Amino acid sequence: MSSKSCCGPGYASPADAMKAPREKLLYTIAIYTGTGIQKPDYLVTIDADPSSPTYSQVISRLEMPGIGDELHHMGWNACSSCHGNPTMERKYLIVPGVRSSNLHIVDCATDPCAPRLHTVIQGAEIKAKTNLSAPHTVHCLGSDIIISMLGDAQGRAPGGYLHLDKDFKIVGRWENSMGNIKFSYDFWYQPRHNVMVSSEWAAPNTFMPGFDLEEVGHLKYGRELHLWDFQKKTPKQSFYLGEDGLLPLEVRFHHNPDSSHGFVGAALSANIIHWWKDDDGEWKWEKIIDVDNQRHPDWPIPVPGVISVILLSMDDRFLYLCNWLHGDIRQYDITNPHRPRLTGQVWMGGLLGRAPFVNGCKIAGGPQMIQLSLDGKRLYVTTSLFSTWDNQFYPEIRTTGGVMLMVDCNTDTGGMSINPDFIVDFGKEPNGPSRCHETRYPGGDCTSDIWT
Amino acid sequence: MTTTRTITLANRGGATYNVGHRKPLLESLMAQGVDLPYGCRYGGCITCAAKLLEGKVNQAAQVALNNRQLKDGYVILCVARPLTDCTLAVGVESHDKLYRNPFIDPLQPHELKADIATPQEV
Repeated sequence: MSSKSCCGPGYASPADAMKAPREKLLYTIAIYTGTGIQKPDYLVTIDADPSSPTYSQVISRLEMPGIGDELHHMGWNACSSCHGNPTMERKYLIVPGVRSSNLHIVDCATDPCAPRLHTVIQGAEIKAKTNLSAPHTVHCLGSDIIISMLGDAQGRAPGGYLHLDKDFKIVGRWENSMGNIKFSYDFWYQPRHNVMVSSEWAAPNTFMPGFDLEEVGHLKYGRELHLWDFQKKTPKQSFYLGEDGLLPLEVRFHHNPDSSHGFVGAALSANIIHWWKDDDGEWKWEKIIDVDNQRHPDWPIPVPGVISVILLSMDDRFLYLCNWLHGDIRQYDITNPHRPRLTGQVWMGGLLGRAPFVNGCKIAGGPQMIQLSLDGKRLYVTTSLFSTWDNQFYPEIRTTGGVMLMVDCNTDTGGMSINPDFIVDFGKEPNGPSRCHETRYPGGDCTSDIWT
Repeated sequence: MTTTRTITLANRGGATYNVGHRKPLLESLMAQGVDLPYGCRYGGCITCAAKLLEGKVNQAAQVALNNRQLKDGYVILCVARPLTDCTLAVGVESHDKLYRNPFIDPLQPHELKADIATPQEV
């Protein structure tokens, strides 16, 4: 299909996406759930235009209707998968509440500087119609919207996939079978290989109250990766990652739709797992990055990195990861995906005391969610993971709030440095310290779009 | 047997509320204007946890607390029903023992959640 004939949302190719204008607005989730402040979680709009007088500031806030949602991840109603469809528009951000299971549909197009609530799909309706709860990852494909749901209506694993139509009506369960899958979390698909890959966190009833490390040994947390027959909507193969793959979380395929290579960050093992379809047509996996646990001088148990997120640049050249407990972000050149090369590293917060202050701001938490500009040069970072887990590892975040920083990334030779001029301090929010989480750009970003 | 219970909120100036014994405490207290945190509303997520200082509740429906948190008196208000008059500390001010860093302070086998805990050796 020629890109010239297309006038739908997104871009004809990852290469075209990289040439898009610089992002000027950021949409970021901010939460009060678990903080003691009895206010709704909200979506902030941040000015990311360096020539603007309000650069690096929150310029609008959209409160959700109720309290206690725990907004977490979010996704668009349409992406580059509908680039060929002129009737589609990247207009609505779907903003789920993990704890409430409410899906907030936010209109970001009518006034991009001040998103407004379009409608809410109530968690009670989702539970009644699909027996699913705890929404996580939102992906669109064509006019369909698919959301991974981590539990059944009672918060038990393995959950499943909620299917919405383009008008946000509940179609039902997307999958035809969960097979022997024990847990759900993130997913990504690569339609030209008829494959979807899904990862495993835990049952909502296990992870929502907080992280009991001891439960990992009782198999309450995931350690497998699943390949699906995407058209048949059924799992076809599982990789048992074992001790190398404890808590496999964020799943990223190469953006190149012809590639079979993908990566997952195993949070607790602090490893990066790489998978691909080999020349013999078999899917293979290997561990390509292993972050060593670090000793804290006063603690009996060594501290794992806890890789809470990974992300690939739009040209599939760099992989970024965050060690939320250690406090570092790393950049690897994965030109050869079997042999990654560490090319950059910066520190902010963390439990090891390496960077307690950045840009004059006390950092509570560690580098957590990241979003990279389409051209690969600016990485936006936030510090909160999940309210109960924040409260365990970084209790001071209750009074300090979260923070967003920007990292300048060198795309020629590799390398990273924290930008000294950009900081959004969520400790200074009007209703008190809040915590910031996932970020998206109005025009699509490095984790939102899939090419078919 | 009377069907109402008196609930005292120790950290809200000792305010008292009469509530039904069949309804979850979160629902009863919020209906009377008490501003309380909550999340899942089915006993799975501890956002609404409170500390029971006196009295007894039935919270058989909760699946969020481990045995150490239970021993420290935590109750899940969205599913807990009062069996007797109760005194509670509510909100995050009562969460001093609810959260722990597992790398500093591991659980003993008998302190895990009920479904995987091993009996305590005596």
